[in-house]
Amino acid sequence: MTAAAPAAPRRSSRFALGKVERRNLRWGLLFISPWLIGFLIFGILPILYTFYLSLTRYSGLADPDFIGVQNYGRMVGDPLFWKAASVTLYYTLLAVPLGVVVSMVLAMAMNQKVREVTLYRAIFYLPSILPVFAISFVFVVFLNPGYGLVNWLLTAAGLPSPNWLGDPNYTVISLVMIAQLGAGQWALVFLAGLRGIPTELYESAEIDGAGAWRKFKSITLPLMTPVILYDIIIGLSFGLQVFTSAYILTGGGSRGAAGPDNSLLTFVYYVYKQAFQFGAMGYAATLSVVLFIASLVLAGAVFRWARGWVFYAGEEA
Amino acid sequence: MTSSSRRSRSLVLGSLVALVVGACGPAATSPGAGASAEPTAVTGAACQAGATEVKFWTSHTPPDTDSLTNIVNAFNAANPDICVKMTIVPGGETDIVKLVTAIRGGVAPDVYEADRFTVPQRAAEKVLAELPASSAALKDQHLEFAWAETQYQGKTYALPFDTDARALWYNKDLITAAGEDPAQLDISKGAPTIELVTRIADAINKKDASGNYEVMGWMPGGPGPGGNPGAFDQGWHYTWGFVHGGSFADLATCKVTPTDPGVVAGYQFMYDWQKAHDPQAVARWVSTNFPPNAPAQQFPFWTQKLGMTISGDWQIANAAKYGGGHDYAFTFIPVANAGDTPATWAGGWSMALIPGSKVPEQAVKFIEYITGPEGQKVYVKETTHLPTLKALLADASLYDEQHKVFLDLLPSAHSRPPLAVGGIYWDALTQAQGSVELNTKTPQEALAEVQTTVQPRLDEVGC
Repeated sequence: MTAAAPAAPRRSSRFALGKVERRNLRWGLLFISPWLIGFLIFGILPILYTFYLSLTRYSGLADPDFIGVQNYGRMVGDPLFWKAASVTLYYTLLAVPLGVVVSMVLAMAMNQKVREVTLYRAIFYLPSILPVFAISFVFVVFLNPGYGLVNWLLTAAGLPSPNWLGDPNYTVISLVMIAQLGAGQWALVFLAGLRGIPTELYESAEIDGAGAWRKFKSITLPLMTPVILYDIIIGLSFGLQVFTSAYILTGGGSRGAAGPDNSLLTFVYYVYKQAFQFGAMGYAATLSVVLFIASLVLAGAVFRWARGWVFYAGEEA
Repeated sequence: MTSSSRRSRSLVLGSLVALVVGACGPAATSPGAGASAEPTAVTGAACQAGATEVKFWTSHTPPDTDSLTNIVNAFNAANPDICVKMTIVPGGETDIVKLVTAIRGGVAPDVYEADRFTVPQRAAEKVLAELPASSAALKDQHLEFAWAETQYQGKTYALPFDTDARALWYNKDLITAAGEDPAQLDISKGAPTIELVTRIADAINKKDASGNYEVMGWMPGGPGPGGNPGAFDQGWHYTWGFVHGGSFADLATCKVTPTDPGVVAGYQFMYDWQKAHDPQAVARWVSTNFPPNAPAQQFPFWTQKLGMTISGDWQIANAAKYGGGHDYAFTFIPVANAGDTPATWAGGWSMALIPGSKVPEQAVKFIEYITGPEGQKVYVKETTHLPTLKALLADASLYDEQHKVFLDLLPSAHSRPPLAVGGIYWDALTQAQGSVELNTKTPQEALAEVQTTVQPRLDEVGC
């Protein structure tokens, strides 16, 4: 016979708080209230208002007219919606993985034990402190097919010199190239991750005869997976919202289209055009809601996928 | 502490500094940061103290703004109790982002120069305010098509300021150097055929060792500056649609008609011409020779890189300024078949009142002045555009011999349909033009897409 265990003091719910906890919570909320209020007013409220506007016909100046889900129906039959979605996905699929690779390579270069490493770090990081719009303006000149630096180098190397911004097959690649100039910022995050890997692991591997590739594959890469996941999630968010560089490379789209064959019509660019150039703020809100939901779904899918390959050193196997 | 750990620490510190600088960088250099919220006005410095200020925005650039400045200064001198401050702002035919955001932000101008064919759309969007009865009463003084473009649901939202007409401009020196006789294009011979112009143009074409065009004979359509979709000069969708007898809308049924056979034929011409000249080679030439936002003097027609271009009456003034002493002339826009009736089209701008103006009376006074005989006379004379005031059409003092030719084109000129989706339709046609000229879509495919995009919007706002 087993003795009955003494009954644990019952709580009304699993979130019930004690007196001290309640007081701490009150103080905690009070201390973060400036941020909390700001978040509610400038974060949550606009999101809710966007949901409302997506159900209206609204030019941005007159009062919104409630039209139910008409904007959503219109979106399905809008060829530019599909074009913008495909351009954005194509860009994200190219830019995010490439960004991870470039950031990792830069971080490993920054982690080398050489005397000039500080100089290298500064050089690698420098482009990421330049504003995207400034870099984009410079790239309009760099990518010019007639007198641009990029084609001059390609021609000198005996390679074909494409019309980067005039040929729809190369425009998104131009955008991806510009995005890589911001890799220095992510390389710092990767560098922090690299420096957090215990050196004993490498020493043990060396004793066991592991070469550089084996050490990278079996130690560096697995221990860097949380950082890689972080980079993918943030990169996904930035990728789906790419706008500034596309806007500048196409001269602001003021003459009707976003690059040759609308090949730079990214999703946010299309939202901008609908809201500010076509006076369709309600429809632009609909597109924004769809982007919001798509971003959540994609981020959720990435987290789910990451369960299979992200290694957290502190977790039990 | 070892020297290596000291070094590591300094590296981390350095990186942190860089991180902080990086985080602050974009914000510190964001557009408008450190600058005044409003661009600087180019007129009004000589105004009397206490004069009522009227803010006037235009997206035009020199040389047009030089003339606008003269008109505004004359108005200010004649009306010392009013001070019109003119500001040049970013924007374009269908791009009024700066204006819309200024209205939302409560810093809008009182008067805006709007491309006239977009006025009904802007009125429907509540971007423009209805003008008072004194302005609406000026209807009979203006050309009918120009007036129609300022109307939305029977109300007047702007007053016409100017108009124009289009023609084929050609450089006699380049044609002669190519071994062709420019007399073939003399305007006295009537409209040349597309075939003749293409043959002469192909004789002018020059390529470098890599096969890139160095000089082009003509550029009938696009791409636009920097290789973006659109017309290089005035070879727009409307130009070639009208040349091929196309109709872009049926106002009686409130339908856009981008798939009208004449419009399709215009697009087919652009498709075929590009195919024959390699769309990528053409785009490369434009990107190299005509970057976006290039000043007027860099226009390839003036820099001897282009033999012929579809352009307008305003180039008479520009030829004198930027033409470098070369021999230019113009004739009718080429036609598809010998003997076809030549076609051209007229556009133009207008002056509109912005909702919420605190000085509407003074603003309207300025609008009626600049679009009246005083303003239009100066603008027509200085920029070689054409007036919308019927009375000025007969004023011989405004036109020299060349200018008169364009004036004579005006009665038979087409105009864009006055629709409340005018800007959206223009943009959709431009996108279609871009795709067709790259040969990535057939005219039928591209124009069917225009119909799908624009008609639902027109159904929403009506005619």
